[in-house]
Amino acid sequence: MAQIFPPWWNKLPIVAAIAGCLVPTVATAGVWYYFSPWYTDVGYRPVQPVPYSHRLHVGELGLDCRYCHASVETSAVANVPPTQTCMNCHQIVKRDSEKLAPIRESAASGRPMRWIRVHKLPDYAYFPHNAHVAAGIGCVSCHGRIDEMETVTQMRPLSMGWCLECHRNPGPNRRPVSEVTNMKWTPPRDAGTLAAQLGRERPVNPPTECSGCHR
Amino acid sequence: MPPVNRTYWRSPAQIEGTPESRDFLEREFPEGASELAEGITRRDMMMLVGASLSLAGLAGCRRPVEEIVPYVTAPEDIVPGIPRYYATTMPFGRSAYGLIVESHEGRPTKIEGNPSHPSTLGGSSARVQASVLGLYDPDRSQSVTLRGTRKSWNDFVTAWGQMTQVHAAGGGAGLAIISESFCSPTMARLISELRVSYPRVQWATYDAVSDENRLAGLRQATGRDVDLMLRFDRASVILTLDADPLLSDPEMMRHARGFADGRRAGASGGAPSTSSGQGMNRLYAVEGVYSLTGAMADHRLRLASRQIAPFLAALAARVAPGGAGTGSGAKAGIPGVDPRWIDALAKDLQANRGKSLIVAGERQPAAVHAAVCALNTHLGNTGKTVSYYETKDAALPSMSSLASVVSAMKAGTVQTLVVLGGNPVFDAPADLDFASAMAKVPHSIALGHAVDETSSATEWHIPRAHYLESWGDARAVGGTLSIVQPLILPLFGGRTPVEVMGVMVSGQDRPGYEIVRETWKPILGEADFEKKWNRVLHDGLLAGSEVPEVVPDLKGEAVAELGRLGAAIQAASGSGGDLEIVFLPSPSLHDGRFANDGWLQELPDPVTKLTWDNPALVSPKTADTLGLANEDLIRLDYAGRSLELPVWIVPGMADQVVALTLGYGRVRAGRVGSGVGFDTFAVRSSRSPGFDSGVKVTRLGRKYPLSATQHHGSMEGRPIVRESTLTELRSSVTAQPARVDSAHAADSPQPPKKAGVPGALGVFEEDPHHFSLWKEHTYDKGPQWGMTIDLNACIGCNACMVACQSENNVPVVGKIQVAKGREMHWLRVDRYFSGEPSGSPEMVFQPVPCMHCEDAPCEQVCPVAATVHDAQGLNVMVYNRCIGTRYCSNNCPYKVRRFNFFNFTKDTPDILRLAMNPDVTVRSRGVMEKCTYCTQRINRGKIDAKLAGRELRDGDVKTACQQACPASAIEFGDLRDQSSRVVKAKADLRNYALLEELNTKPRTTYLAKVRNPNPDLEGVRT
Repeated sequence: MAQIFPPWWNKLPIVAAIAGCLVPTVATAGVWYYFSPWYTDVGYRPVQPVPYSHRLHVGELGLDCRYCHASVETSAVANVPPTQTCMNCHQIVKRDSEKLAPIRESAASGRPMRWIRVHKLPDYAYFPHNAHVAAGIGCVSCHGRIDEMETVTQMRPLSMGWCLECHRNPGPNRRPVSEVTNMKWTPPRDAGTLAAQLGRERPVNPPTECSGCHR
Repeated sequence: MPPVNRTYWRSPAQIEGTPESRDFLEREFPEGASELAEGITRRDMMMLVGASLSLAGLAGCRRPVEEIVPYVTAPEDIVPGIPRYYATTMPFGRSAYGLIVESHEGRPTKIEGNPSHPSTLGGSSARVQASVLGLYDPDRSQSVTLRGTRKSWNDFVTAWGQMTQVHAAGGGAGLAIISESFCSPTMARLISELRVSYPRVQWATYDAVSDENRLAGLRQATGRDVDLMLRFDRASVILTLDADPLLSDPEMMRHARGFADGRRAGASGGAPSTSSGQGMNRLYAVEGVYSLTGAMADHRLRLASRQIAPFLAALAARVAPGGAGTGSGAKAGIPGVDPRWIDALAKDLQANRGKSLIVAGERQPAAVHAAVCALNTHLGNTGKTVSYYETKDAALPSMSSLASVVSAMKAGTVQTLVVLGGNPVFDAPADLDFASAMAKVPHSIALGHAVDETSSATEWHIPRAHYLESWGDARAVGGTLSIVQPLILPLFGGRTPVEVMGVMVSGQDRPGYEIVRETWKPILGEADFEKKWNRVLHDGLLAGSEVPEVVPDLKGEAVAELGRLGAAIQAASGSGGDLEIVFLPSPSLHDGRFANDGWLQELPDPVTKLTWDNPALVSPKTADTLGLANEDLIRLDYAGRSLELPVWIVPGMADQVVALTLGYGRVRAGRVGSGVGFDTFAVRSSRSPGFDSGVKVTRLGRKYPLSATQHHGSMEGRPIVRESTLTELRSSVTAQPARVDSAHAADSPQPPKKAGVPGALGVFEEDPHHFSLWKEHTYDKGPQWGMTIDLNACIGCNACMVACQSENNVPVVGKIQVAKGREMHWLRVDRYFSGEPSGSPEMVFQPVPCMHCEDAPCEQVCPVAATVHDAQGLNVMVYNRCIGTRYCSNNCPYKVRRFNFFNFTKDTPDILRLAMNPDVTVRSRGVMEKCTYCTQRINRGKIDAKLAGRELRDGDVKTACQQACPASAIEFGDLRDQSSRVVKAKADLRNYALLEELNTKPRTTYLAKVRNPNPDLEGVRT
């Protein structure tokens, strides 16, 4: 009588054991990464109605962040500038640029620009820009090197775990308030001393509990 | 605080232990509450949800594209994310409420009282809080219409020009105007101009809920058109006669503050502490229908409205003997009233000359008001607890003016009728038959917020601007000039009465802003006008613009007049067998104008705790006599008209009285208010709009379900509300050390706080009876939030509930959901009775928000840590973690957690979303929610202090309920700060925690209620 099971079936338990370990691990790891903000959000780079280049305006021309995002120090939101702010320069500079047509149209018609939001928090999370600027957290810490971006891209996951890393130990991310908008600021060699000094001068105790950000 | 020595109950049904009351006791959400309403079982639903989830799963990974839409030209003074606050005024009849309105990027979202305004004094009322929803009412009319077809405002202006050619020739003959009462310099100026061009115009001022009788009484007593201003804070002994100055009176906010201030005086058992040096006030209420004022009373006498005049005559005979009121029978007894009661009252009033106050209700006839004026003068109260001032710039309500316009309309002599606000087709007395009279008028024009009963029957309809969209002005109580300033351009192109009058006067379309400024130029003076004008806009009022007080000379014998009236009434009701009918303004909807406001519809009536309905109210004994039970339908026959409606039994009402609430039963209110309740205007007559005898009630043998919240959140007979008397309190102050030692956990409130006690802030002393099985929080970091609610000051007016709803985006669920215990209010006001249900039980109110327990039972049972504690002592709810097990709600001894059985905000029209607070998450289905101590306000306060580089100060953070409370009954603050108001309140002898024996260590505590009964009345039953 012929054998019902061929000899390679003998390896089945080992294969099954290995697969039994690997498949869930891979699946878990896959979900862990591919469902996380590291995959879903980081690198998000929507096409904007006007290809505004931060590299040109900030990196090369040296505009300060606060020229456009004027309310970042006073308000929870660092507003996107009104069309008027663009036109301050562009009624003189590059008046006939094809790319700027939507801006001119908005200024003429009074219809607002519709930009695409890049950095988005869930609706139940409330992030105050003013408090973070006052604590000396640089723009770079959350938004990355905006001055090198042709198109604004999300560089950090903006996940709760990522927020909490800093909230638990804000020292390394703090800088003098005067340097907050400086894209090229690097911590001095004795970073620990600076952190300690800032902690003495302007102590912060960032909340690590739910009510700090969720309302 | 003495132990609880009386039994509290919420309804007669609870005493009897009927199944319906047990239901809510044993299960927070009764049988079937977890099932869907429309025949889909929960199981089917889970299947559907599962299937759609698996389909939606992948699409859900994709990130939704969200747009940022900035300004084109940024307004100079708006910073996105920072709300702005503007002063404005809400005109309400002849009252004017000074407000501070919060605006987010040009969108008004929250209303608060203006602390410097005499009418609100920083507080607000349920209606004021809810009025912001009226601005975004999706059923407001959107354009001018001519017999239902859309027209433009300019079309109307042109048409008006043609219409008035006829009238211009005849000096205004054939032109009639019906208006609500108002008190506004601009409107008064326009009217006088109108009378110049149209001297023969017929003007009627009609309020469905009016104080015409009071004005007539004062005119009768003084011979002048005066209005009065009550100063409860200066009164030691107060008598109200069928009056509700603490709720239905338009000046309730001012009255509540004054009354509560007088109530707090000496309430801690110590020395009198008001500026005037008087002790706690004493309130006597004589009334037929249980009102909030009656609930606050130290002595309450149940007496039908028709018996008030004889009662007052009897009182007058004792207070002012010889002078007047000795008419026949005045001294004779009133049926059912112990003469000792009147004797003691008269003695108390006389002992407090110049510090007493008598208030009569609007329903009462003019003679009663005239006599009250005379008695107040006799007692030396004029200029002290009550002051009079001439009415200025006012249109005073007059039923006879309406009646004469209506008869002219019927006679066909009115060519053009202008309804300048108001809804007479709905709320005019039934015997006038306004609708058919209007059908005889060739041209009719109605200004209204919606195409309501009146606007749908007129030729022209003009959308009316909400007060938050209007320029206008008003005189507040005492005559203070207040400005109505818009926060937003009219959403639907609405027009104000001022603008419509402007067209009528000049034939030209002029903006309200110009018209109002024109009035104010002579008021403020040409010199520096802009500067002064801006000051008025900033303050919301013109300081020092009160009308001077007058001390009226009394004319005639008002008291004697009353004696005759009283005798007549007594003779007429000699048999006393027939039922009395009483018409009440709705505490929520007033005369029906707020019918389309979901917040107000769902707000439980303070006394009956009913939502979404207006049954006829009767006393238990009357119900017995008539064989009626709750929810029984009856037919009511009165003055040749009849009405079918259900019945609700209210303990403590006078017997032989049927009370009808006005304002419900609207036909064309909108999607919320149409068809809700019963139109009681259908049986109201112009002859006696307040109360009358001769109503007949027939039981129909059918039931009509009502949604009352009185059993919701029940805590079964445990010592929840506590009250004491002033005498008991004083004696316990001296006897205190002994008391603490022998204290039994359930009976004693926590002992007064000692400084420096270790543990949780020393707020809760270590008690040998109590130890916790749980690891306790340390609470050593950051501010520690706590709250006290003074039951002695709380008048139960529900302003806090609506303020909370507005601040925290709390949804409206509807009548059927309320019946299932699914209402979403984060803060509820419990109402308890004590005493004999069929007798004269007392009433106590208790607002119950989340207690923010330091050892919170809800946290220990949540399987997903969706409710946790933070370092500041807040019990926080994490919506995105919540999976909806409802274990927390089950384990909450205070029943303050509310569950979203549905996505209640899903179908909210877009425009209503504009009313939402952008700083608070909108919750979805399947999520538990509850009071957060307004964590968004805490965070704003903390960040603002941080940016300003200073520490948080007491008063930087106010919760919405605290800010709204007209009686200042709520204190909130940092428990570490020994000088904060909340710490001082918690040090009060009356401070107690709810269900303290459970060792939950609530951060919200209560100050027990104190009554101040007259020792002479001990043992006198009412």
